Amino acid sequence: MSDASPILRISALTKTFDDFTALHGVDLDVAEGEFLAIVGPSGSGKTTLIRLLVGMDDPTDGAIWLRDQRIDVIPANKRPTCMVFQSLALFPHRTVGQNIEFPLKLRGVKPAVRKERALELLDLLRLPRDYYSKRIQQCSGGEKQRVALARALAFDPEILFFDEPLSALDYRLRKTLEKELKDLHRRTGKTFIYITHSLEEAMVMSDRIAIMRAGRFEQIAPAEEIYARPVSPFVAEFMGEVNFLSLSAGTVAGAELSPAAQAALAGQSGTLVIRPESLRLAPQSADLILSGTVAAEYLLGSRVQYRIDSPAGELTVEVLREDAVAGVGAPVSLGCDISAVHAIAEAEDAAA
Amino acid sequence: MKTSRLASAALLAYGILILAFLYLPLVSVGLASVSKARYLSFPIRKYNTDWYGEALASDTVQNLLWISLKVAGIVTVSSMVVGFLGALAFARYSWRFRKPFQKLILLPIFFPQTVLGLALLMWINALGIVPSWKTAIIAHLVWIAPIATLIVSIRAFSFDPALEEAARDMGATQWQVLREVTIPLLMPGVVSAGLFAFLLSWGNFPLSLFTTGADSTLPEWLFAKMISGYSPLVPTVGMLTVAGSAALVALGLILAWALKRLRPTT
Repeated sequence: MSDASPILRISALTKTFDDFTALHGVDLDVAEGEFLAIVGPSGSGKTTLIRLLVGMDDPTDGAIWLRDQRIDVIPANKRPTCMVFQSLALFPHRTVGQNIEFPLKLRGVKPAVRKERALELLDLLRLPRDYYSKRIQQCSGGEKQRVALARALAFDPEILFFDEPLSALDYRLRKTLEKELKDLHRRTGKTFIYITHSLEEAMVMSDRIAIMRAGRFEQIAPAEEIYARPVSPFVAEFMGEVNFLSLSAGTVAGAELSPAAQAALAGQSGTLVIRPESLRLAPQSADLILSGTVAAEYLLGSRVQYRIDSPAGELTVEVLREDAVAGVGAPVSLGCDISAVHAIAEAEDAAA
Repeated sequence: MKTSRLASAALLAYGILILAFLYLPLVSVGLASVSKARYLSFPIRKYNTDWYGEALASDTVQNLLWISLKVAGIVTVSSMVVGFLGALAFARYSWRFRKPFQKLILLPIFFPQTVLGLALLMWINALGIVPSWKTAIIAHLVWIAPIATLIVSIRAFSFDPALEEAARDMGATQWQVLREVTIPLLMPGVVSAGLFAFLLSWGNFPLSLFTTGADSTLPEWLFAKMISGYSPLVPTVGMLTVAGSAALVALGLILAWALKRLRPTT
């Protein structure tokens, strides 16, 4: 998103620890009001990045701009940003109300005004008002999440950062809170930057996803685009199950190509990416046709997944239950349309 | 698992035996303190509490109490401060010499106190300082401050560094982080370190023996009177010493209870 005036601009940000480089000069623009998710496996540099952004660590090189102000040179407590920590970092020696009021207390806001604001935030986060005088220890996991959010909102930051705050919760609660967070983003209109290792979480909530790998951004784009057109096999795999076929000079080993497919792939070399749900079993007509035998069959509720041994390698196919045909050991043909195939050129592949 | 009647009877007897072993000597000193006799002897023929009146009226005993109290009081406060700062260095902040510091700070605890006392006396003499209750404070601190540091460190290890970072992120200055987060969270540890410091200093004999010079603390006086010139005041003063410790433990328990009522942590 090359917005005319991004709220946050990161340029050539680098962080080196002794002899290890955690961030290799990354660039990023974030638009005002955007919900950006930064996703990557552990050790990809996402935590390092967020710690630089909030000021817990100093960058080795590069700059961070908040609108027209360069913020990497000012200390964490002077930055107009706030973070919800992975551990939530709620003060155990303070009540729910005192936790929410904390940033206001630091600014010298009068107790009555502080309390008014804290109660408003309890309403906003859909917590009962009598939680104001509750102990943190008396709150459930989900309630603690909401208190941490309320406290961050009391700070009224320009940008709200999240460091995997949902990772310690069970699946159902996480799903509920993901939706609430998305809803809160819409209602407050604030800029959210959310770090997670869970792509699923990122896809549910964010406007754009930045995928990190080994201290660099691999791809920054809306979820659908990353899913449909990954720039590298790493991104493709990170976005869920995927089949890779080797493409060399316009031909795919072990596959038959229709004239349309031949024209589309003419002269290209690299990797073909095909999602399991794009492949069809025993197709009437297809641009790319493969054959093989069923090696395994898995029931996934309304869908069935097959693992198929083929001359082109091991393939994964996912079809609707009513389209399931073959059993284990049966020979099958499978295929897909050229529109469902994404080619990653060799150069990009090598760069990744 | 069900215990048979025999086993539970044996357990009960064992428990009583242990308690008797621990507390009977103390009870007998208590009984001796209310004996009318001039010499330590059992069974006690006649009881009275005259020795308590005499002890409290005696200048010697008053002086002993005052010196012991001064030493223990100053050691307590100093240990709390040193323990708090030491625990931050020990457990919270990573710095270059943290590992050696963690090991060296514990070393005095492993020295036999008599050796430590002797070593300190030699240094006090070498520096030309006249030993008194003031030098005993230093000696006590050498041994007690590391223990206080350890006690506060246990607390410091168990607290999430993100709490301080979060406070800072929300706009707190270094001083505000200390006042709003670090000090309140470490306070229970600091209070128990203070309690231990007082008890260890109040009852300390070997370090005091070497370093008080002409002054005398309660334990020193008790020992001196036992080896030469027994006085019927000995068990009485002994019981007064125990009462001092007991009062402090009671105070500590009340304080812990009050802290828990005011704001339950963890």
